[in-house]
Formats: sequence, structure tokens, C-alpha cells
Amino acid sequence: MNNLGRILMVEDDPKDVELTLTALDEYHLANEVVVTRDGQEALDYLRRRGQYSNRSQENPAVILLDLKLPKVDGLEVLQQIKADEGLKMVPVIVLTSSHQEKDVMRSYRLGVNAYVVKPVDFHEFVNAVKELGAFWAVVNEPPPGSIRKG
Amino acid sequence: MTPTSSRSNAATLVLPVATAVVAIAIFIADTVTDVDIAYAVLYVVVVLMAARFLSARGVMLVAAGCLGLTVVSYLLTATTGRPFEGIVNTLISLGAILLTAVLAVQTQKATEALQKQASLLNETHDSIFVRDMNDMITYWNRGAQERYGWRAEEAIGKSSHELLRTIFPTPFDEIRSELLRAGRWEGELKHYRADGAEVIAASRWALQRDAREQPTAILETNNDITERKRREEDIERLNRELAKRAEGLDQQLAKRATELEATNKELESFAYSVSHDLRAPLRHTAGFAELLQRQASSSLDDKGRRYVQMILESSKRMGDLIDDLLGFSRIGRTETKESAVDLERLVAEVVAEVGRETKGRDIAWNIGPLPVCYGDRSMLKVVLMNLLSNAVKFTRVRKWAEIEIGCMNGREDQAELFIRDNGAGFDMQYVDKLFGVFQRLHLAEEFEGTGIGLATVQRIIHRHGGEIRAEGAVDQGAAFYFSLPRARAQERERGSTT
Repeated sequence: MNNLGRILMVEDDPKDVELTLTALDEYHLANEVVVTRDGQEALDYLRRRGQYSNRSQENPAVILLDLKLPKVDGLEVLQQIKADEGLKMVPVIVLTSSHQEKDVMRSYRLGVNAYVVKPVDFHEFVNAVKELGAFWAVVNEPPPGSIRKG
Repeated sequence: MTPTSSRSNAATLVLPVATAVVAIAIFIADTVTDVDIAYAVLYVVVVLMAARFLSARGVMLVAAGCLGLTVVSYLLTATTGRPFEGIVNTLISLGAILLTAVLAVQTQKATEALQKQASLLNETHDSIFVRDMNDMITYWNRGAQERYGWRAEEAIGKSSHELLRTIFPTPFDEIRSELLRAGRWEGELKHYRADGAEVIAASRWALQRDAREQPTAILETNNDITERKRREEDIERLNRELAKRAEGLDQQLAKRATELEATNKELESFAYSVSHDLRAPLRHTAGFAELLQRQASSSLDDKGRRYVQMILESSKRMGDLIDDLLGFSRIGRTETKESAVDLERLVAEVVAEVGRETKGRDIAWNIGPLPVCYGDRSMLKVVLMNLLSNAVKFTRVRKWAEIEIGCMNGREDQAELFIRDNGAGFDMQYVDKLFGVFQRLHLAEEFEGTGIGLATVQRIIHRHGGEIRAEGAVDQGAAFYFSLPRARAQERERGSTT
């Protein structure tokens, strides 16, 4: 379990952050999860600006993106990532409470890699997060230039 | 006897008396003078005077009398003077009297005929008057007097247009030239009565020409159309008002539509809020309760563990309610995508999905031949999902469950379908509640559910122009009958893949 990539989580709700981290922890997906609390911070992290100007160069192996975010919302973040030559290959998974067709459609149009509705049921939620983590951070071969744990 | 009639009686006596006096005077003069002076010719005056007040018969009698008197005078004076001249003079006088009498009677007859015609014109309700080429009134019938309030004596000799203050629809010169060219004119005129009231008249003018084709007079006939005109104007005004009101209604409708659209948008954002904002705290409640159950279970007593269990169950139920409610509201908002839907295939698909959760149960599915319907496939699937999972749910109490799906001979354009089970059934007394939102006929402990499923089903069937009804009895199963539009041949061809 040492070949794991870094996960960037974009989530404004601390309870969701805690539940997601707990779920990932419970299944020993001991990735280094970076949590950004709004869309602007996520973009700063990805573009190594502001407080993240000193972080190392690699991209995260996967981005877990909420849609309803303060400042810059999730769809806007998604659009900017997919329009950015240096970022567009990073897999983005929308992880949201919304299963509005409108949101699903727009996300796929913008090139999202997966769209997951957070289940209300905790078991299902844990399973979903576990599968996501396992697949995208472990099974999936990320594009070159992503953080890999040696 | 009134003074008026006595005066008129006296007046009628003057002429006959004068006639008699003249006749006697002529007779005396004729008798006392020589025969060579033809005084008897003067009897024509008597005949003419008699013609003024006597009938044709009377005139002829007077003429005969005059002839008699002439002959008597001749006989009395014939002895003196020259007999030959006397005879000639007498014969000339006799001829003149006779001729005059005949002419007078003829004239009298012609006058009578004219008077009769003129009085006929008086009988009509139309107002008729004649004016000369200078528009001076020369004849004015009784209808005109009644209509305009001017008597014939007042009207005759006056300019008709000045008397009636006529307002013409087009310039008068144009009307006049039209009249001279065509010999007649028709149009609407506005007149004023003697009392100042306005009269709208349908006016017809006819030009009269003499033997040399020279225009001599204009006959004007006027029909009072004031009332008709007023009614027409009333109708026109009402129509205008109606149009205005309709326009107002249109605007109101457009405003309502805009409002409705705004409300729909609000509802949509509300639904979005519900799905996103309500779901998040619910997930947290469930999540942390679950974590509590796992990690602190050993430090909780039985009661505490039960409480955690309750929290978990309730949050799950609330999650289901939110999902179902959103699904229900989505049916009203989303547009249907209609195509031909093979119900046989759709039912097989749904039965397979529902059947996954019936492991260990003994269910007999009796599926009859089903038609191809026309509708929104995903919505129809929701209908079948709800009805079939209900059937599965409520037959849980049976050792041997039977679920029947079939089609009855409905109308040509509508298929009548049914889904029948031998499950718990329901009391027909509450059948009206069956399709209401959040209405449940069973306890949550007996059968789980949110009470939105059948409301959703009904909404979808209605959106497809169909009807749904239920039959059942407690512990004797339930049956749902619903209608859906059949696919026509061309729709079936187009949508054969769905």
C-alpha cells in the first residue's frame, strides 16, 4: 500500500471533510489528502499560487470536487482545470449532494471524469468514497507529472 | 257647434250664393238687352265657379240650367231685332257653356286624382318633400311634418338644407353632381328637428326632369334611422369595450404566465436547495450516528444503542422522503420525451429489477400479452417500478404470492392495463386517499414507504392523458387499472428500438 497518489479534496463543509477522511482512513487508504475549502483555494493549490506557491511541482493524482462552494463554485473550478494545459489531464471526480440533471449534464460537458452523488446512508457513503479512492488513487495510472509515493 | 265649424260653414256658403247671384245677373242682362250681344257666353263663369264646389254631376246640372236660361232669354228677346244673329249668338253661347262644362269636369277629375295621390304620399311614414333646383321646398308631406316638427306652411318656400341644418357625409357639390349625372342619390344625412333634436336619416333623392330633359325638382325621401344608428353605435362601443377587456385579459394572462414561470423557477431552485442543502445535514447526522454506533457502542448501554439506531432509521427515512418528493416534483417540471414504448419489454426489465430483491420468496408472475404504448419511457418505467414493487411489497405476507400483469380490450386509441396481486389489499373506504401525496393506508411497521409512490404514478398517467383507479379489499389483494395511449403504426415504426 505504498504506491499511492495524493488526493486533492475541494470541500467547504467540515463535517463532510471529516466523514470523507474517516471513510478513507477506515479503509486504510493512507493517502496524503490535501483539503481546500473553496474554489479559489483549490485553484491556488493547483496553480501553486498564494499560500501554495512553495509546494512541490506535481499535480494530485485525483481531485474530489464538491459543486457548491464559496467564492468560485465547483463547475467554475472544473472549467478552469479542463481549460488549463497543465491541469486538464488530472482526473476530476465531482462528489456532491446534488443529483440535478442540470448539474450532471454541465459537469460532463466540461469534461468531468466521474460524477458521484454522496449517498445519505453512511455505509453507502463509505463504500462510495472507498471505491473512488481505491480506483482513482490506487488502480488508475495517473498522467505523468502526478505525485506518486515512492 | 263649435265656432270653427260654423265659420267654415259660412265660408262654404259664399261661393254658391255668389254663383247664383252671377247667374241671375247674367240672365237679367241677357234678357233685357238685344239679341245681338251674346251675354249668355258669360255663363261659362257660372260653370267654372260651380266646378269649384260641386261634383261633376252638379257641374253638368248647372251647365244644363245655364243652357236653359240662355234659351229662355233668346225666346223672350227673339221678337225684337235680327232673328238670324240672335240664333247664331245663342248657339255660340250654348256651345261655349257646354264645352266649358266638359272641360271643367275633366279638370276636376284630374285634380281629384292628383289630390288622391298627394294624400297617399301623406299616408306614408317616410318623410317626403319636394324641392326645386334652388333647394326651396315646394311640397312637404305629413311624414316630414311629424319627423321634423315643421308644418307644411312653415316649410314650403324655405331652403330645405337651412331649415333642417343638414350635415352631409360628403361635400354637397359632389352629391349634387352625382344626382345630376345619375338622376338619384342615396346616403346618410344628419338633420335637426324644429325642437333641436338630432335625426339621422337614410336619404334617397330622385331628380325630376321636364319634357326637355331639364331638371326641375328633387324628390327627397328620408327614413329615420336614428334608433338603428344608436343601436349600431352601442354594439360597436360594446365590441370595442369587449376587445379592450379581452386585451386586458390577454395582458393579465401573459402576466400570470410570467409569474408562473417565475414561480416555477423558484420551485426549481427550491428543489435544488432541498436536494443539496437538506441532504447534507442529513448525511452528517446519519454519518456521525453510524460512527458513534461503531466506535462508542461498547460504552453505551442498551437504551443509548437503541437511540442511535432510531437516529439512523429516521435519517434514512427522511432521505427517502426527500428523494421521492424530488422525483414527484420532477414529473411536473420535466418535459416528456414521447416515443413508442413496448410495454412487454419494459415490464420484463422492471420485473427483473424488482425481482432482485425478492430472493427466497415464492412469487408467480403472470404476464399477459402487452401492447406498444406511446409515452415517455423513463416515466412509464417509474409507473411500473412503483406498481410492481408495491405488489411485491404487499404480497410479502403471502406464502404463495401471485402478481398478474395484463391488458384488457380497451378503446382503439387507449390501452387498458392492470396489475393485480393477492397481497394485503386495502379498504375500499379509503380508496380516495390512495393517490394522495403522503397518504398511507398501512402502518410503517407493516409496510415501509413514503406515501409518494402512487401519487407519482397518478401524475405520470395523467400527464399521458390516461386514468388510473384501484380496487381492493382488506387481505384480498389489490388491483390497479390504468390507461395509456396506444402507439399508432408510424410511431411504432419510428420508436421500435425503445
